[in-house]
Amino acid sequence: MHKIIFKFESGEGITAFAASGENLLEVARKTNVAIDAPCSGNAACGKCRVKLLSGQLESQKTRHITDEEYEEGWRLACVSHVISDVEVMVPDIASAYKGRMKAADLSSPEELKIFTETKDRLKVAGIALKNSLELIPVSMNVPSLDDTMPDVERLERALTAVTGIRQVRVPYTVLKVLPDKLRENNFSVQCVVRRSAKDVFVYDLYGMDEHVRAGGLVVDIGTTTVSALIIDMLNGDILAKATTGNGQIRYGADVINRIIESRKPGGQKKLQDAVIDETINPLIHTMCAACGLKPAQIYRMCVAGNTTMNHLFAGFNAEPLRTEPYIPVFFKTNSLFANDLGININPDAHIVVAPNIGSYVGGDITAGTLVSMIWNRPEFSIFIDLGTNGEIVFGNSEFMMSCACSAGPAFEGGDISCGMRATDGAIEACTIDETTMEPSFSVIGDPGQKPIGLCGSGLIDVISELFRCNMISPKGKFIREGARIRHDKYGMGSYVLAFKEDADSVKDVEITEVDIDNFIRAKGAIFSAIRTLLTSLDFDVSMVDDVYVAGGIGSGINMKNAVGIGMLPDIPLDKFHYIGNSSLSGAYAMLLSGEAERKVYELARSMTYMELSTTPGYMDEFVAACFIPHTDTSLFPSVHQAETE
Amino acid sequence: MPFTKKLQKFNATIRTVELGTGEKAVKLGGGSTFPFYTFDGPTANPAKIGIEISDMGLENEPDCIKAFYEGCGSVAEIAKKAASFEGVDFVVLKLEGGDPNGADKPVEELVNVAKEVSEAIDLPLVVEGCKNVQKDAELLSKVAEALQGKNVLLLSAREEDYKNIAAAAGLAYDQLIGAESAVDINLAKQLNVLIKQLGVDLGKVVMNVGSAAAGYGFDYVISTMDRVRAAALGQADDSLLMPVITPVSSETWTVKEASASEEDAPGWGPVEERGIDMEVETAVACLTCGSDAVILKHPTSIATVSKMIQALS
Repeated sequence: MHKIIFKFESGEGITAFAASGENLLEVARKTNVAIDAPCSGNAACGKCRVKLLSGQLESQKTRHITDEEYEEGWRLACVSHVISDVEVMVPDIASAYKGRMKAADLSSPEELKIFTETKDRLKVAGIALKNSLELIPVSMNVPSLDDTMPDVERLERALTAVTGIRQVRVPYTVLKVLPDKLRENNFSVQCVVRRSAKDVFVYDLYGMDEHVRAGGLVVDIGTTTVSALIIDMLNGDILAKATTGNGQIRYGADVINRIIESRKPGGQKKLQDAVIDETINPLIHTMCAACGLKPAQIYRMCVAGNTTMNHLFAGFNAEPLRTEPYIPVFFKTNSLFANDLGININPDAHIVVAPNIGSYVGGDITAGTLVSMIWNRPEFSIFIDLGTNGEIVFGNSEFMMSCACSAGPAFEGGDISCGMRATDGAIEACTIDETTMEPSFSVIGDPGQKPIGLCGSGLIDVISELFRCNMISPKGKFIREGARIRHDKYGMGSYVLAFKEDADSVKDVEITEVDIDNFIRAKGAIFSAIRTLLTSLDFDVSMVDDVYVAGGIGSGINMKNAVGIGMLPDIPLDKFHYIGNSSLSGAYAMLLSGEAERKVYELARSMTYMELSTTPGYMDEFVAACFIPHTDTSLFPSVHQAETE
Repeated sequence: MPFTKKLQKFNATIRTVELGTGEKAVKLGGGSTFPFYTFDGPTANPAKIGIEISDMGLENEPDCIKAFYEGCGSVAEIAKKAASFEGVDFVVLKLEGGDPNGADKPVEELVNVAKEVSEAIDLPLVVEGCKNVQKDAELLSKVAEALQGKNVLLLSAREEDYKNIAAAAGLAYDQLIGAESAVDINLAKQLNVLIKQLGVDLGKVVMNVGSAAAGYGFDYVISTMDRVRAAALGQADDSLLMPVITPVSSETWTVKEASASEEDAPGWGPVEERGIDMEVETAVACLTCGSDAVILKHPTSIATVSKMIQALS
């Protein structure tokens, strides 16, 4: 056995023990040290770098580490094996920021905007913002020797008297506290209940003078990022909001790698633990602390995520999703409860799951479709969710079609050497001077925040600017030379946005040809999916009235640049609307409003799913779209015009 | 009711690219109908045939080919002989000896071979590299320089090395460029766009959209050619309106149908005949799907395919 110490830049350390020959990344995973490994430990992505401080590692050299860096002690964890006691430093580079939790500042109106807008749009569509949770005050007779009815029967009768519903259900958690609560409050209590046509279910009891807060939890489980809200179920107020990386990231960057990992012995449990124990429960903890709510006061939860994510969340076997004929366990389920999944909220809380449409179009899309409101207009619109999977919904109040394409994690900063989420330190917008080739950019965070990496919107800007300045070819290869452009010994070019002296990182913030290539593939997947979907219906982009763009790409997304690199169709820019994390706002709507929840089920049923992988012509469209802006320039007349000018 | 003939008219014409100089120069492309559709319009320039020879002399050639060049001592003599066969429109010198994983001949030596061959013949010349990206970038640039004024075609510029080769051939030394892509209409188009962006005149570009021997993924090859030509003419797509040249012999003489000895495959007939058949079948399919020139090796194949072109054009 060897002793391994993982040191963080903060100075803290975690100690682990491993046998000779064990893989360092595996050891880190076992010890819950988050080392980002989007490629699942195949030495492909170069993200799992650690620095050897003392001891020896048997480590292969890869193209991700320069000779100089190797000398300094940098190693890839996935190709390193333990041969002695070692101390390694886990660096604070862009990718490490991915996993960090961030609680939102709710005093900023920007954070709340999408939820207020969601409520407004639902109201306009005639959807009542009412759910089945309510607060019912009841006063009972104090028992005496003449009135010896048990406590629970007393409560049941009182509730039946108020509601007119005979069936009242009181769970164990309430029974356990019932005698004390009733006596403390002299048999007058406020009950948090769920009322349906058939029964009343009691979640909690409060004294008459107590300020009751019935919390609801909204979670958007993205493949890369998990966002959550705590809301007041009675009035819809947002009490807390937080975001963190999906703990499953260390088991692979995309759904396919996650499913493969889940089929290894104990894998299903590991993946479920990673998303619940390591991701959602800490989010709940942080948010509850922020808003002063007890976790047990959260009485309902709504989850939106892609089909694989909600399967792994529920602990279901996801393998059939991956293999022909791609069958999910469920599209819609109401059988999940907090207690069964180990979620730290009220154990009886019911988990509402946004329904799936296909193996690769899940609840994040059905929820998002609801808030995009494309189903409520006669004009044709496109709803695009730019996530690790790109999903597209097209249609109007008469019909809707959907499809999914694998865009990879690039929009959220994955698979990009300096990629990160749209959080503090991310370059979110950029322009480049055509003559000097010097960049100027804006960084998310407090004034003076130095750049750490690039988020999706920043990537779009940088690539668009590199192309505009003729620094890269339409294939994404560098064609100009300059002080900020360099080539490694394998000939790979890169452009330095900020040298490490000017950055808040241990390395230069740069964009490489491999990054650009990954991004071109991502944007190619999105554009070709839109084209294929529209072409299959004999539609032309000119018939599209509005395009709603959602996802964690960053609110700073510059639509002109996104069109300029051929990611979105070339239609007038005022038709594009960025609607933020629509999966989260959709799940919020489903939790807050029973009618909205039913509407989402209806949308899911009425949407036609188109499987792109079996659509002839998709591959052709994809190859044609992997070019800036597109192989067929006639599809981008405005870009072409700008070039000739 | 009288029969009214409907003509398929296109508003686009494939660019005419002239290869070589002087009387023996040949014109590739120029058509505005599908190949051999003489009922839609006259053939502008009948398809051309190149004969393939190598800087390695006859060393790697099958016996049946060696027989034709008996008595030739140098590559220049081989070239001279090759140019004399019936139906040959141009000579293709393959510099396969440059391959770093093979003979790895130095660039200067290969450039000299190219010069000798060019001086020995009066037919147009096409020079093919060794397929190694790094070596070709240097080799073909040097060949372009050495053969200035001869208007030779350099095969080929690929996505990995187009910057060097296309710049040298198209910009610096005024030669022709063969743009090679891997059996995909969009990749073919993308490479042409990239070459154009270097400032190269697209009138100097000939495409090689990929090739294979019949039966070896060949359906992809000919459907790509077919689609390239249909898109070029039908959509007047400027970045696809260049003539297509297809190396055939380099694919067909290595497959087992052409190379298995008579002892190993007794039921298959004479080995030479099989080699010729493979070459002719592959070439004819390429021509009917839109190749404006094919590169062959066996004089009998060349005579046969030439006869077909004359009969149908």
